[in-house]
Amino acid sequence: MITFEHVSRRYRERLALDAVSWHMDEGECVVFAGPSGAGKTTLLRLITHELAPSSGTVTVGTFRGARLPRAKRALLRRTLGIIYEDFRLLNDRTVFENVALAVRITGHFADAEVVPRTLYALEEVGLQQKQAAYPSELSAGEKQRAAIARAIVNRPAVVLADEPTGALEPASAKEILALLRRIHEEGAALLVVTTRPEVGAELGGRVLRLQDGRIAADEAPARSPYAQPAFGVTPPAATPDPGA
Amino acid sequence: MHLYYLREAWRSFRHHQGLAWTAMISLTATLLLCGIFLLLTHNAQSAVRFIGDRREMVVYLRDEIAPEQRDALIARLNELYGSTTFVSREQAWEEFSQQIGDPQLLQAVDQNPLPASLRVRLRPELLNYPAMEQAAKQVSQFPEVEDVRYGGEWVRRLDELQATLARGSLVVGIAVALAILLVIYNTIRLTVMARRREVEIMIRLGASDRFIATPFALEALGQTLVSALAALALLFTLEQFAVQQVVHATFLPPVWIAAFLGGAVLLAWAAAALALARTLRSAGP
Repeated sequence: MITFEHVSRRYRERLALDAVSWHMDEGECVVFAGPSGAGKTTLLRLITHELAPSSGTVTVGTFRGARLPRAKRALLRRTLGIIYEDFRLLNDRTVFENVALAVRITGHFADAEVVPRTLYALEEVGLQQKQAAYPSELSAGEKQRAAIARAIVNRPAVVLADEPTGALEPASAKEILALLRRIHEEGAALLVVTTRPEVGAELGGRVLRLQDGRIAADEAPARSPYAQPAFGVTPPAATPDPGA
Repeated sequence: MHLYYLREAWRSFRHHQGLAWTAMISLTATLLLCGIFLLLTHNAQSAVRFIGDRREMVVYLRDEIAPEQRDALIARLNELYGSTTFVSREQAWEEFSQQIGDPQLLQAVDQNPLPASLRVRLRPELLNYPAMEQAAKQVSQFPEVEDVRYGGEWVRRLDELQATLARGSLVVGIAVALAILLVIYNTIRLTVMARRREVEIMIRLGASDRFIATPFALEALGQTLVSALAALALLFTLEQFAVQQVVHATFLPPVWIAAFLGGAVLLAWAAAALALARTLRSAGP
């Protein structure tokens, strides 16, 4: 699904990623954890082809190459669901319009099909009551739910999340992680980059620890604290897992 | 999907009204200038065509030629140069009398001095100075012909006037085309920059260039069409309430109006395509 082969990325003198190799299978959950400057966001931007590697090869599904042409980059991004720390919602559009935009961008659906798909995604993240609200009228947690709805509305094979709980207070963060876990359990591969070490345990995914642009550790999936997370219901407070 | 693009174009217009109105006022002024010149050109061309239609070659005949010779010459001229009419000495005198109008002056001329002549309404392809000059030379070689007159000097001036108008139209046309290209190009660039964050998000979500560009292009085309219509309305008002007070003028014919609107929209489309191709490439990751 996603493969990095000896991928390095250099910003002038600074080496952000240093000959990193890893692979992620379909349906897998991978968490890249590490401090700021470890190379996590660079890694994510290499996957979405916002950046080209200085050396090595990045393969995402059937897309392989150092620098894809513009049209292919757009096509690649349409196969991914991307969630950003700062949500990146369009402030002059309602929640519904923000999510519907991702459906329209695919160019595969007629106007009549956009509405049910969008409403279904909003229902999945528990935001159907807020569909007419503008981002400025939402809490941070609700904004992230809207961003998640936008990411999953086209049923991508892989969802990428860049510090999805970074801008959230703890209760909202737990709700968002439960939601992401649910999405993963429904079949989507999930790749999360975070500075919070506990996210890996909470998602029950494989944790790759990044340090100074290198993979310092590759830890097997930990057991999730949520055995059967209820969708749209606030999960119970997580008990720290000493084994995580 | 088409409705979506139209809605997006309208949304963009509402959100950046200051920019949109500035562009539309600039475009209207530019197109009005072009319209004024088109109106001048159209009326000048009509006048020139009217004068041109009256261009004819007068062939004076020798007194001694027989009617058969004259008829043979008429047939030849009809065939080679255009519709030929015979004017007898008596007809010529009658016309002259009507033009002069003063019986005392006419009485001073004791006998009809006017020769018989042939009036040749030249074929359209001969209505220019070099062709007329050549035709006159050829006709003057016929043995039945005494003299040929065709008003060479004013025909030449008429041709020069037409050529000057054509050159003027070309220069103004190019200037207006450049102005439209610049206004649309810069307006689109500024609009894309004003909506840079939105464009970046769309690019990150995988939007194709066409998906992002279409609403911008529609907005530019709409602005240009409205500006062109406004310029035409202003031009019509100007023609009705100002020009008509001074000289008789006619408004642009439907074909010219269609060409004016079509040309403006086509230029806007070209400018939008250029601006979007360049701006979108630098807009996102």
